[in-house]
Amino acid sequence: MNSPGTAVVVRDLEKRFGDFVAVNRVSFEVKRGEIFGFLGPNGAGKSTTIRMLCGILIPSGGAGTVAGLDILTRQEEIKANIGYMSQKFSLYEDLTVEENIDFYSGIYRIPAEKKQARKEWVLQMAGLKEHLHSRTGTLSGGWKQRLSLGCAILHEPPVIFLDEPTSGVDPISRRQFWDLIYELAGKGVTVFVTTHYMDEAEYCDRIALIYRGELIAMGAPADLKTEKLREDSIAPSMEDLFVSLIEAHDRDARPQEEVRR
Amino acid sequence: MLVKEFIHIFRDPKMKAVIFLVPVIQSMIFGYAVTTDVKHVATAVFDLDNSQASRELVARFVRSGYFDVVARVQNEGQVRVLLDRGRARAVLRFNQGFEREMLAGRTARLQVLLDGADSNSAGIVLEYSARIAAEFSRTVLIERSARLAGAFRPPGGVDLQARAWFNENLESRNFYVPGVIAILVMLITLMLTSMAVVREKEVGTMEQILVTPITPGEFIAGKTLPFALIGFVDVIVITAIAVFWFEVPIRGNLLLLFLATALYLMTTLGIGLFISTISQTQQQAMMSTFFFYMPAILLSGFIFPIANMPESIQWLTYLNPLRYFLIVIRGIFLKGIGISVLWPQLLALAVMGLLTLRAAAGRFHKTMA
Amino acid sequence: MKLFRVRAIARKEFIHIVRDPRSLGMAIAVPMLLLSLFGFALTMDVDKVPLAVWDQSGTPDSRELIAQFSGSRYFNIRVQARNYREVVRAIDSREALAALIVPADFADRMGAGQVVPVQAIVDGSDANTATIAMGYARVVTFAYSQQLALREVQRVGGAAINLPVEVRPRVWYNGDMESKNYIIPGLIAVIMMVIAALLTSLTVAREWERGTMEQLISTPVRGPELILGKLLPYFAIGMLDVLLAVLMGEFFFDVPLRGNVGLLFAVSAIFLSGALTLGMLISIVTKSQLLASQLAMVLTFLPAFLLSGFMYDIGNMPKFIQGITYLIPARYFVALLKGIYLKGIGLEILGMEALLLVVFGALVMVVANLKYRKKVTV
Repeated sequence: MNSPGTAVVVRDLEKRFGDFVAVNRVSFEVKRGEIFGFLGPNGAGKSTTIRMLCGILIPSGGAGTVAGLDILTRQEEIKANIGYMSQKFSLYEDLTVEENIDFYSGIYRIPAEKKQARKEWVLQMAGLKEHLHSRTGTLSGGWKQRLSLGCAILHEPPVIFLDEPTSGVDPISRRQFWDLIYELAGKGVTVFVTTHYMDEAEYCDRIALIYRGELIAMGAPADLKTEKLREDSIAPSMEDLFVSLIEAHDRDARPQEEVRR
Repeated sequence: MLVKEFIHIFRDPKMKAVIFLVPVIQSMIFGYAVTTDVKHVATAVFDLDNSQASRELVARFVRSGYFDVVARVQNEGQVRVLLDRGRARAVLRFNQGFEREMLAGRTARLQVLLDGADSNSAGIVLEYSARIAAEFSRTVLIERSARLAGAFRPPGGVDLQARAWFNENLESRNFYVPGVIAILVMLITLMLTSMAVVREKEVGTMEQILVTPITPGEFIAGKTLPFALIGFVDVIVITAIAVFWFEVPIRGNLLLLFLATALYLMTTLGIGLFISTISQTQQQAMMSTFFFYMPAILLSGFIFPIANMPESIQWLTYLNPLRYFLIVIRGIFLKGIGISVLWPQLLALAVMGLLTLRAAAGRFHKTMA
Repeated sequence: MKLFRVRAIARKEFIHIVRDPRSLGMAIAVPMLLLSLFGFALTMDVDKVPLAVWDQSGTPDSRELIAQFSGSRYFNIRVQARNYREVVRAIDSREALAALIVPADFADRMGAGQVVPVQAIVDGSDANTATIAMGYARVVTFAYSQQLALREVQRVGGAAINLPVEVRPRVWYNGDMESKNYIIPGLIAVIMMVIAALLTSLTVAREWERGTMEQLISTPVRGPELILGKLLPYFAIGMLDVLLAVLMGEFFFDVPLRGNVGLLFAVSAIFLSGALTLGMLISIVTKSQLLASQLAMVLTFLPAFLLSGFMYDIGNMPKFIQGITYLIPARYFVALLKGIYLKGIGLEILGMEALLLVVFGALVMVVANLKYRKKVTV
């Protein structure tokens, strides 16, 4: 089910926690080198999906591959081929910038000859050269977030998963961050990113909208807007699209209620 | 605020289990395991004489109830093995000619070999054997005199009628189980308070709370009261276990016990808060708690009598709130004494409580601002 | 399992420890404090029991009996009571721990060759001390009665007579019967459990609370690598504590070390690995530091302190508690420590205990791994 051009393939992926269905039979494909945006309100199932793809959670049903590796059986190999950045800052605050980088190079076993170059690259990219020996806890949000990204891609994974990477970061830092994402995609890295910032969705090559565990729309941002929005909306924004799609979904889910009203 | 803390604590079913199980487990351990009563000492007999006298003396050892003969050995090597492996803790050794010596009017020697590794038990065993041998000697002497002189007038003797007050059967558990109240209340209030406050700092919710109109006093109360209540619940749980399970007598006034607990809680909560102000991480809070807690228990008279400590250390114990609270608890449980005797301890607890709580609150105020 | 990942984690963990000098300092200070307290201040040995005496007889005979008490090294006469109320007050106020009441007709009945009851009262609230004090009192009175009998026989027989039987005690392993000699070796076990409870029980829970665990899970790090990597620095601290304890025992407290020092360190290393992994297991299972700390106290520290035979002889416990102690690894370690220290014995006798420690270590290792795998992939 995977062709050389796809980085992520998912069929009927499902996750249940007891009675609660967090992700309900979701299917999609992400092409190599694509920036794939995963949108949805809080609690829609974005993080759960990403965590299943990263091998952190075991799916309750369905199938899929990441970087050509089966998510049900080859989780450990997947982990070596992806970078993951969670929504919460998750580096060690009492370690310095350099120590954090060294730690992750140790974990991913960056070969000795490449190690220095990768470190330089991360510092360059994150603009943290002069903060090499600062404790991570003292850095500002934008820096922390770029360092997290740097540590997640130290080992040059072909696929990276970013779970709400820009939440709680100022607009300028967000802008810089997206520049980084473009740069990575330009090098052929597949970027799978979740967000609830609508303007960020515009930056993606393709987006998927997830709501209450179900995938309710997928496509290029511009296509989706023309397809799904009514003619009368002038200068349609992602926001409008988002709201109208969710309203449409709610109508479908509860038709009787709507009729009565 | 108070509600939030309760939710925090009770949302986690494991935490609930811990809060209720810990007092039960502790009381059980102290009620059953912590005993220094020495009975049924595993004893080996190494009888090279094998005479009427030696057998009679062994029988007296067994009859005393303190010694259980677990082995009869024939040579030194076996003795060594038994003691090394800990299969026997005492060996009664009769050399050849034991009875002959005795009959000849000389002193026959009974050798008692003891595993002295546990010096406390060994001392008690030694005392038992000395007593049994002394009784035996006396009987032999009296018999012999009676034979020697037909009209023998038995000598006077002393029969010691020992009575233990407050704890007639000298049950270790009567001493330890009520004391568990004091050490548990301290552990819970110290550790949980300090860690819970530091957690807010670590997770960053502290800042959030500081911008709300809550006053430091309210914050402190909200943080400490749930643990104080848990402390009270534990007092009730342990008291119930002590009285209904272990049948520890409770002769004094329960209300006085609660009053003393409240006074004592002020001190422990104050110290808990103080630790939270000097700790940045939960690990530090836990270590600091432990650093205070261990000496506080060991130097309280909970296990080790204060009277046996060196003088300088004895003075140190006067700074220990646990010391006073233990006297109050044991006084109420075992002696049934009231405020007329216990007022100095209660006063000390009250003074310490007010001082530490004030100092901690002051420091807390400063570190928050 | 890849060693380079173990190394990376161990290094990171080591930096955490160094960055928190207070916790590191306490990891060293707590054991020192415990050793000092047990070595210098705490003893269960009872001597010089404060005694109150109410001599209603006031005759040479009664004074002779009382002299037996004051002359013994066990008692110290503190109060000469003149009536019963004074006896009660002496004990209530804890001025005296025991009281001796000699009846008014003591001399007369002694002269008549009767066995005279003499009352002794002990403050029983501390059962241990009371038992020992009572025992001392019995020893003193028995010796006195025996002496009287001997004197009487001599008077009748007209010649000096020897005591028929005398006890010749020989105390093995701890000739001076000093409690520190058996407390200090056992303390090593307690100290290790403290390290496990205080340090390792929080390490994984802390990563959960701070969210760094999430990041770690997404990397190719596996359970055994994480557990081993985290263990190594604490293992180093634990072994340092053992070394300090052994040195303090040798140079400050003169505890005899009769067995093989190499064996002592080897079994310590085995036990320490097990104890630390147990701390880690608690940490993995709970995810919350608050809870982990409580569990660690109950599961590691308390049993090591009370059910291991460290202070309270297991032989004196009720049978079913004795059964429970077999499940407590510290029990085997304490037996090994005391055997090596005091008895100078080795694996030929303690092989089983050592083997069980290995089993314990391996078992918690396996369980910690399984639990880790279960926790990270729900």
